[in-house]
Amino acid sequence: MTDGPARVWFEWLRWGALGVAVVVLTIFLVVQGRATIDVSYGQSPSSADPVPEGEAGELSDATVPSVEEMTRMVADNQIVRLPGSIAHIDEDRVRAEIGGTDARILIAPPGLDEDERERVREVENATVRVLGTEVSGGLYQAVPDDFDGWRKRFATGDVTGSVTLLLRELRGERTEDDEDGEDDTIAWREPTAEEFGPVAADLRETGLHTAEGSTMDALPEAAATAFPDGDALYAVFPQQEADQPVPDYTTALAAEFPDRPIVVMYGSWVEYRGPYEEDFASVVTASIYGQLNDRLSKYDYPQSNVLHAYLNRVTDVRYAGLFDRPLPYQPFDPLRVTMPALPWIFAACVLVFLALSVRAVLRPVTRPRQFQQGHTAARLAGLTALAIEVSALTGRDGDTPLTRGLAALEGARKALNDKLPDQHVHTLLNQAEAELDDTARAVGRTDYRPNVYLQGRLA
Amino acid sequence: MHWLIWIAGTVVLVAAGVGATLLPQRRARALRRRTAWSTARAEIARATVSRDAAPVRVEEAERLLTRAELIAADRGGPDAAATTAEYARRADRLWREASGD
Repeated sequence: MTDGPARVWFEWLRWGALGVAVVVLTIFLVVQGRATIDVSYGQSPSSADPVPEGEAGELSDATVPSVEEMTRMVADNQIVRLPGSIAHIDEDRVRAEIGGTDARILIAPPGLDEDERERVREVENATVRVLGTEVSGGLYQAVPDDFDGWRKRFATGDVTGSVTLLLRELRGERTEDDEDGEDDTIAWREPTAEEFGPVAADLRETGLHTAEGSTMDALPEAAATAFPDGDALYAVFPQQEADQPVPDYTTALAAEFPDRPIVVMYGSWVEYRGPYEEDFASVVTASIYGQLNDRLSKYDYPQSNVLHAYLNRVTDVRYAGLFDRPLPYQPFDPLRVTMPALPWIFAACVLVFLALSVRAVLRPVTRPRQFQQGHTAARLAGLTALAIEVSALTGRDGDTPLTRGLAALEGARKALNDKLPDQHVHTLLNQAEAELDDTARAVGRTDYRPNVYLQGRLA
Repeated sequence: MHWLIWIAGTVVLVAAGVGATLLPQRRARALRRRTAWSTARAEIARATVSRDAAPVRVEEAERLLTRAELIAADRGGPDAAATTAEYARRADRLWREASGD
């Protein structure tokens, strides 16, 4: 087999196409594995996981007694408050709701770990369990479904409404308008001058006020992207007393600092007042508390982490385009531009490989067919002619080798017709030639020896 | 739509690769088989001529040729053809020796 330069070139192209196809396919698969659903309008820089599990300080030091002890406590008292609990219930209202039934309530602290929560759940004589501010009982869990309910739960820890609602549900006496009847709104009062003075002073000075008892030392990083102008004011207060009116710092600060973003935190509740308030405040609050309600009520997150999550969400909304600002420049991403072309590159490589493979299969061997076949056929013809000529001369002596030679020639002719390899045909012709040589010697005619005869013919 | 290209393309690639490997292989095997049988038939023909020319019967050579013809009648792969050719060649040599060549 001789390889022409074209053939070599085609082979290179064929395997090159295969290689490119495989590389492209690999890129495609790798990109698939990494693909993430990104719905941000302008590549929002908020961190992807605002509240990482277990590492956000959501577990408190509080613990609970053993199951037996808690069971005994619940058996002794209708309403049991374990040390460290933050949930508040209006006992008069709850006792009135319990009435003559044997319903019992167990209030446990927030931030328990899995084992401790399991222990609280195993107290079987407790009708309603309050874990942090999560209210559950039987198969139910009572969750506030509006801003007033969330505000009351996270700002003051008041779960009276949820507890009474759940008690009624468990008795099977809840009606549709029960929920509407609940008074979830917080009683506000104006802060006194002594209360407001230090807050305003702090804000004027540093932009951040952390009240006594709050769990925040410094602003979370997300503040920089949430309010990039840097004029936002943050006032952080601990969870408020549920049975007393709450000082309304938000309104007071808005009056003191008009047209500046004001973020006020009571416990786990974040209020916003300021520019674009109606554009995004309710969106952010609904999405944050709708998503994290479960975790915020069960765990004991530091306020800085809750604020971080809130500000991250503000950033997301900002990058969603609601603020009507120009987006930052996005660098050119070659992968994003190349990706749509990949399938077509792949398809082209496949077609090239397919075409060249078909071509290679259809033309398996390139040999100088005409020359070689012509040569073989000429030799067959020459030997056949010699055999016929010599057959007239043979007697008994040369008969057998001649017959054998004719048989070999017949085999060679068939092999040539069958397009068997030339080498094979030549082997058969060699045999025939040897037999004819024997024949010539047997009849004593050296001029009929094949090499002599054929040379004479060719000459 | 685009994911179809990936699946169809991969299938075609694998098919073309397998085809391009198997077809020439099978073709080469068939050629080897036909060549071997061609050799075997030539040997049998030669042995037959030598038998007809031999002055005496040679039992063993006849047995060998019969066996070779039996194997040839069954057809088979290149190995069977090689065996056939070998038997025929030995039979041919025995008859030639008997003829005094």
